[in-house]
Amino acid sequence: MKKYIFALTTLQLLFTISAAAQGTGGSDFLRSIGKIYVVVAVIVAVFLGIVVFLIYLDRRLTKLEDQIKDQNE
Amino acid sequence: MIHKNWWKYLGVVILLYVLTVGMLVPLKPGISDIDPSSVRTGETVTFKVWGYNSKFAQAQQPTRAWLKLDDERALSAERVVVKSDTMLEVEFRIPPYLPVSQKVQDFSLILDNDVDGPSVLPSAVFITQDSVDAARGEQVWVNNPVQDLSNVSGMTFPFRNILGETIRNTYFHVALWLAMFTIFIAGVFQSVQYLRLRTPSRDHWAVSYTTIGVLLGILGVVTGAIWAKNTWGAFWSWDVKQNTTAIALLIYLAFFVLRASFEDPEQKARVSAVYNIFAFAALVPLIYVIPRLTDSLHPGAGGNITFGSQDLDNTMRMVFYPAVIGWTLIGVWMATLLYRVKRIQEKLWDVY
Repeated sequence: MKKYIFALTTLQLLFTISAAAQGTGGSDFLRSIGKIYVVVAVIVAVFLGIVVFLIYLDRRLTKLEDQIKDQNE
Repeated sequence: MIHKNWWKYLGVVILLYVLTVGMLVPLKPGISDIDPSSVRTGETVTFKVWGYNSKFAQAQQPTRAWLKLDDERALSAERVVVKSDTMLEVEFRIPPYLPVSQKVQDFSLILDNDVDGPSVLPSAVFITQDSVDAARGEQVWVNNPVQDLSNVSGMTFPFRNILGETIRNTYFHVALWLAMFTIFIAGVFQSVQYLRLRTPSRDHWAVSYTTIGVLLGILGVVTGAIWAKNTWGAFWSWDVKQNTTAIALLIYLAFFVLRASFEDPEQKARVSAVYNIFAFAALVPLIYVIPRLTDSLHPGAGGNITFGSQDLDNTMRMVFYPAVIGWTLIGVWMATLLYRVKRIQEKLWDVY
């Protein structure tokens, strides 16, 4: 359940940000000031990729912890 | 602790350097727009020109301007009026004939002053001539060669018109692809080692590296799509390099499907090691050979050299090469984390 809430919050946040971007001129926002926000978007994408890796690793480790806990009981 | 993990910290420090220097070094002054962009011969036209990062008003000597066809055929401006640092007006008296035998010809605009240095807007103005007479055109266009351009030093990244600031994506998008390639090489090396030595740890390493390679590859596609949307106009243009990299990534995704379909761990390791070698053998022509044989939106295709002096100058190299090393180190770090999880998993299976 927690995971879904987290995912929903993230999506909500993304929509809010893109809506704010729409408010400042839609697709022109990414192209303003010499398109520097395209670079920002690319860096954010790479960061999200690393976050995906962290979530994956977290789940793998949780599984291992559960395994150890089961054995100790 | 630190003596064992120095390369992880090195990767982080390098990427911090890439982020700060890569984002803070300004672009070289350039020309962002001109109005009007199409005129007729025989007119005296005042063009409005907008500069990017330029300091027109701070120039000590008057700014010079040319409409240029090639090194010999160029027309210098009658008058340059500087309105502000980023805007000026240039007056050209367009001769009645063009030095070419076609009706419409595009000319580049060259600006030069002592603060900004020379800057160029390719295909800035299209000039239409009513009647064609190349010989008479040559006489009026040849006498104003572009010369004595000022030499301004300073640490800047090149200004490219459609790219603008997005030239900085070289350190994230392009460097990520090269890091992915290095990681895949490490993966295929471990697969070969597995086939030679048959130790399960080699298989774990191969899978860990390949997983991270695929992650970096997907990030490369996503970052490329964002960049393409704002420069080429669409997230996906069915460009040859986009297509071949998508195929290469699908081949690598099939690696994991293949692994999941075997129950016996040894059989799984053996078949996937062989498959990994084939996948790598397909990756090299798909990414580095086929896109160079045909026309592509990507630089490096259609006979161009990928990292020519036009695309990657020495200032960019100072950030780009560290970026490749930094992303590779981070990728290896991520792969070792996966490997350690796998090793613990294996130990748990053995113990219990």
